Amino acid sequence: MKPPSTALLRAFSPIYSQTLPWAARGCLAQQAQPKASFSSTEQRQKRNKGQQKRDPRIKLIRYHLQHGLTPRPLRFSRTRYLRHWTIHRAWQLHQRQIKHAQEQTLERQYNSMRDACEALRLIDNHGLTAEDRVRLGEPPEEGKEMGRLFRIAMLKNGVWDGVPIEYGRIQTDSPPREGWNHGWTR
Amino acid sequence: MSLNRPLGQCIRHTRHERLLHVPYRTFATTTEPPSTPEASPPPTPPSSDATPTHRYNPNLVHTPRMEKKLLAAQNQYPIGSRRRRAALATSTNIPFSQLPYQCFQEARKVLRHDRTEKVKEIEGMRQRITRLEARAGEGVESEAERKQREHRLRGMRKRLDDWKILADVNDPLVKKKFEDGMGDMNKPIYRHLSDLQWRSYKRRVLMQRITQMNVVPDVLQSIDPTYSTEIRFSDFHKVPHGEFVHSLFSEKPPVLTIQPYNQGERLVTISIVNPDVPNVGRDAFDYRCHFLACNVKVSPTNTTIDLAKLDPETQILQEWLPPHVQKGLPYQRHAIFTLEQDPATLNTVSASSAGTLDLSAMKTHEPKWAERDNFILRSFVDKLRLKPVGVDLFRAKFDDGTSEVMQRAGVMGGDVEFRRKRVEPLPYQRLKGSRFR
Repeated sequence: MKPPSTALLRAFSPIYSQTLPWAARGCLAQQAQPKASFSSTEQRQKRNKGQQKRDPRIKLIRYHLQHGLTPRPLRFSRTRYLRHWTIHRAWQLHQRQIKHAQEQTLERQYNSMRDACEALRLIDNHGLTAEDRVRLGEPPEEGKEMGRLFRIAMLKNGVWDGVPIEYGRIQTDSPPREGWNHGWTR
Repeated sequence: MSLNRPLGQCIRHTRHERLLHVPYRTFATTTEPPSTPEASPPPTPPSSDATPTHRYNPNLVHTPRMEKKLLAAQNQYPIGSRRRRAALATSTNIPFSQLPYQCFQEARKVLRHDRTEKVKEIEGMRQRITRLEARAGEGVESEAERKQREHRLRGMRKRLDDWKILADVNDPLVKKKFEDGMGDMNKPIYRHLSDLQWRSYKRRVLMQRITQMNVVPDVLQSIDPTYSTEIRFSDFHKVPHGEFVHSLFSEKPPVLTIQPYNQGERLVTISIVNPDVPNVGRDAFDYRCHFLACNVKVSPTNTTIDLAKLDPETQILQEWLPPHVQKGLPYQRHAIFTLEQDPATLNTVSASSAGTLDLSAMKTHEPKWAERDNFILRSFVDKLRLKPVGVDLFRAKFDDGTSEVMQRAGVMGGDVEFRRKRVEPLPYQRLKGSRFR
């Protein structure tokens, strides 16, 4: 059996400690990089000229002390601003159209489901409504046969499987004043 | 000429003069058909090989040497800043709508598609309205049906107006034109935009002044201004709402700018009422009308009204009386009310002059409206069924010009000074503790 690796602990272990902190070491390593790195893009001569490497922690501290949380304001020329505005308006319009289409689809789906349920409620086991029976001269259906499929469709069995039942309605601190809306009609 | 490149970019990164004839490589996804005429010719290069016959363009010359040559050869000064001229000379003058930025062009495509749809909606709505209007003459119609139809028509017209605004509101060129102040007030979109602009700041300031200085419960019960008003005395002195005006300025009648934001021409009544005239006998304040004119034509494009140039026969009921506040009086408010005349109730006997007031009949039958003192605007508005639509305010106080203005206007009492009644102080009463000292 192999002993577990101590590679991750090495930074914190006194055995492996050096005189410089790890960040400063990284800094030195950066400075020690060869000037002509293996890269296809040209090296910029202006870059980092005469500028000594700082501890990245100091850099970060200075950055967060001196920069505000608000991003700088957008400053555009006239035409640039107008272009920006055009794109913004078009984007808003596009989003709106998408949302409108979604709402339309949802409404259509809801309506067709409601109509289907209504049709199920009105038919019996043979798929005939009361009017159909009158027209065909059949005796009227009696008992539980009428709308059986509708009742089956309305069963809530398994609807809340895997979902806490509390999520069935929006949770409030206190029960509603009117527990049930008895006067509700479509 | 539009500036299509940011100025800073232009100064930092000027294209080489030799390259100016080469068109920019654009980002268009489609290839340009070779037969299309060039949208904009490349700008004339700043002429380095200037021959004596060459004409310098004062819009584009941007080096000191060229400027000197322009002045010497053509006796012209360059137009605008050098920075602007340099930017104009070195940028490609592509019109704004054809700028070669892919996202911008895609956005324009979306907006254009939306606009065509809106225009189609407008057409359909217009047809439906005409069909519904045509149905009015057919058959016998009960009162309820007529009311319902009119209700529907009103709603449809409202929606039509909304569609008209929505069709143009996303157009960047419309926005640009409006911001440049070049908008055509005959078009609904510009009227809508300027109304929004007015309501965003100036109207709020106006309402604040009107309510702080109690013009609204003092002169009229309430007002919801829908027209913006501006006063100018002596053609150049623009008065902010509620500002003090020197009596020498206000000696001549002002020029009003009344801007309605809805379509069409209408007649308005303009009245200037001072609710702060002192009544010494009653120890209270009275009203005085400084100006009253009726049948003034106003439309979204015809907004400037010179009160001195109105017709005394058919329009003016009370001439301009310069505001005068005698010495020792507190300042006096002068409220300007614009009242819309209703064509449905006024002068319905003749269709051509619907909505006009017959001033000669008013002067003979109702002489109290031609009297300045104790002019009650509330009863005037109620009697003639006017609709208050605009309001403005300026104030006057005693100053060094008041007495001569009053003398010239023929008003008595230019040398009268009002004094507060002296309140005699109560007799001195010794404090309790002082006798122990």
